[in-house]
Amino acid sequence: MKKLLIVDDAAFMRMSIRNMLQNYEIEIIGEAANGAIGVEMYQKLRPDVVTMDITMPEMNGIEALKAIKAFDPQAKVIMVSAMGQEGMVKEAIISGAKTFIVKPFKEEFFYQTICKVLGI
Amino acid sequence: MSEQYVNEPMLDLFIFESMQLIEQMELLIIANEKSTTYASEAINEIFRIMHTIKGSSAMMLFNNITTLAHSMEDLFFVLREDKPPNVDYSELSDLVLEGLDFIKVEIHKIRNGDEADGDASELITSLRVFHNTIKGQDVKTSDLNSAQGTVAPETRPQEKQHYYISKVRSETTSLRNTFQATLSFEQDCGMENLRAFGVVNELRELVEEYYHIPEDLDHEDSARVIAEQGFTLFIKTDHSLEEIHRVLIQTISLRDLQLIQGENSELFNDLKEREILLEDSPVKVPTAFRDKVVNEPEEKEIQASAIQQSIISVSVAKLDQLMDLVGEMVIAEAMVTQNPDLKGLELNNFEKAARQLRKITSELQDTVMSVRMVPLTGTFQKMNRTLRDMCKKLNKEVQLQLIGQETEVDKNIIEHISDPLMHLIRNSIDHGIEMPSERETRGKPRLGTITLEAKNAGGDVLIIIRDDGEGFNKDRILAKAREKGLLQVPEDEITDKEIYNLVFLPGFSTNENVTEFSGRGVGMDVVLKNIEAVGGGIAADSVPGKGTIITLKIPLTLAIIDGMNIKVGDSRYTIPTTAIKESFRPKMTEVIVDPDNNEMMMVRGQCYPILRLHDIYHVQTDVIHFTDGIIIMVEQDNKTLCIFADELIGQQQVVVKALPEYIRNTKKVKGLAGCTLLGDGSISLILDIGGLIFRQSA
Repeated sequence: MKKLLIVDDAAFMRMSIRNMLQNYEIEIIGEAANGAIGVEMYQKLRPDVVTMDITMPEMNGIEALKAIKAFDPQAKVIMVSAMGQEGMVKEAIISGAKTFIVKPFKEEFFYQTICKVLGI
Repeated sequence: MSEQYVNEPMLDLFIFESMQLIEQMELLIIANEKSTTYASEAINEIFRIMHTIKGSSAMMLFNNITTLAHSMEDLFFVLREDKPPNVDYSELSDLVLEGLDFIKVEIHKIRNGDEADGDASELITSLRVFHNTIKGQDVKTSDLNSAQGTVAPETRPQEKQHYYISKVRSETTSLRNTFQATLSFEQDCGMENLRAFGVVNELRELVEEYYHIPEDLDHEDSARVIAEQGFTLFIKTDHSLEEIHRVLIQTISLRDLQLIQGENSELFNDLKEREILLEDSPVKVPTAFRDKVVNEPEEKEIQASAIQQSIISVSVAKLDQLMDLVGEMVIAEAMVTQNPDLKGLELNNFEKAARQLRKITSELQDTVMSVRMVPLTGTFQKMNRTLRDMCKKLNKEVQLQLIGQETEVDKNIIEHISDPLMHLIRNSIDHGIEMPSERETRGKPRLGTITLEAKNAGGDVLIIIRDDGEGFNKDRILAKAREKGLLQVPEDEITDKEIYNLVFLPGFSTNENVTEFSGRGVGMDVVLKNIEAVGGGIAADSVPGKGTIITLKIPLTLAIIDGMNIKVGDSRYTIPTTAIKESFRPKMTEVIVDPDNNEMMMVRGQCYPILRLHDIYHVQTDVIHFTDGIIIMVEQDNKTLCIFADELIGQQQVVVKALPEYIRNTKKVKGLAGCTLLGDGSISLILDIGGLIFRQSA
């Protein structure tokens, strides 16, 4: 089973993602409430894929993405963005994010995105 | 989000988290409003909060909240990135608070299961107008229009056809293959222009020259164009069709890919003629990105202000259930360890085990209780908002001082005291604190002060609201009470304190001019009712011209108390141990009977009234002589009473249960706080000492 790490400061979003994936063969191995914790958890848990919020306290998603990429260039990170964040998304793509999804998103689309990123 | 995922816990979490964020944001605004400008951390924080609310509400499909949050986010984006000068921060605060109020109302609707159907368009227009005002003073803002969604055409980069050739490669002309790729993305995947940018970014390493339609991927419209017409890419490369295909097909959210090889370079040269742009770096760094780099130090500030969260949120219903279960367990524990079957048996090992069980039960209970305890901070902080609104409306200048807000109270109780507190604060500002000019003529500081203090006192928490206003008008209160027929004590015997406490009587309201804030038909009696509902009390004191003090006394918790079980005839009663001063077997010589047949107990030179429990509750008992029974001396509010009972049974933690409804409905029994179940399965009535003392003195 593929392992997913959720990095999002909103507990609501973490729960949404968890709920969306409950019927799929994806194991959520961790939830981080900010970028700094996310990076730490990535290093410890080595997930197959990460969903990364962009606007977060402590360390934002872009910085966390860069840190994760520096630690593991093969890391697969999906940015979770919202309308109005085009600039940040672009920066994330340059920094090595695999792809991004735009809130609000649907379950099937989200799952397909993960599959595609994982190559399954 | 798909319907099936909008389940209850998620909605709860959405409501909980959003409300928390809104409260946090209100505090930030109020704290910053005082200074002429918002601190940059505050702007960051507010931006983040609005962003989170926007995202969450979008997931829940509460579109009106999303749009409003979006426009507020935009506003703070401008403030953060541009730091425009001459912003009217007071107007900004008003606007944003109004917006928060709107969201709060919508969330309340959602919580009540109603449709969140409020119309925020007026607010959004005001926000836009404000947005444009600050934008008008700042040229740089044009870059940010994309966030606002209104693109001023003249500020956009000219609609030239760009394509990028890396300098080194462009000099070598031995490129073999040209391809044309047309990609379309999944419907509604969003930000198609950036998905296209991602494709270009992936290919950058493999291709020597490329050109794409639409040309400008930064442009707002490009997302729509790509969504409708697809994204077309012309590339020149050394790599084979298969290799390029392999890269392109990996594109995430790809719906369709067409890749064809150009016959020769004709296609490309055609395009080349339009305009060639040589750049050192193949990818233009977007303006927003460049700003970001410059703003790096600011990011550090965010890090400092953030709080790490190691807290989970649990629904109160679950906690209530847990509390109930622990309560049942306390009873069950008593039923086992004090089982009548065990009477007279020598059970050393059982006793040992029972002791251990009792210890763990009590620890478990303490832990569960502590989980339910929440600091008053949130409730207190909320008053800042009340204060701000009132002052603005009434043109008064008042500051709020908070003391002891870390004091913890049971969650259920907190919910009951928020409204009374708000009412009292409103009253203080409306009726207590004078207008600034009037204060100055009276030699008081212009700025009025309201102090909100919380502290522990035994099993209770005291909340004290103190203001330095004009104080209660004794004569007016008296006159009003007389007029309404509320006076029960002869006027010449009444103490000042008793006069002040008349204001809590139902039907009392001194202010003829009912204002918007206080005295909305409901008076202090409602405050009293709310406080009494959680077993608390209220008292007022005042010094004319100096101010008023209102003290709320609320119990720490409602659910489990330490009690002393006593026996009268066949009945059992429980007295909260916090109220008991002492108990003793009296001597007849200490009992005094006055001419009215009132019995008193003389203890260390002090005289206290005696209350025969069997008398007031009409219980048959053989113990009617004081020397056969026991006296329990109880105290509350500095008033002491001696309760006469048959015997003490023992001390025990008891779970407070409300009296059954059919009893409450048929008769109001004075002096009973509730009932509980004892270890042997019998029911014990919990005495309400305050009520008994009141009954005795009445």
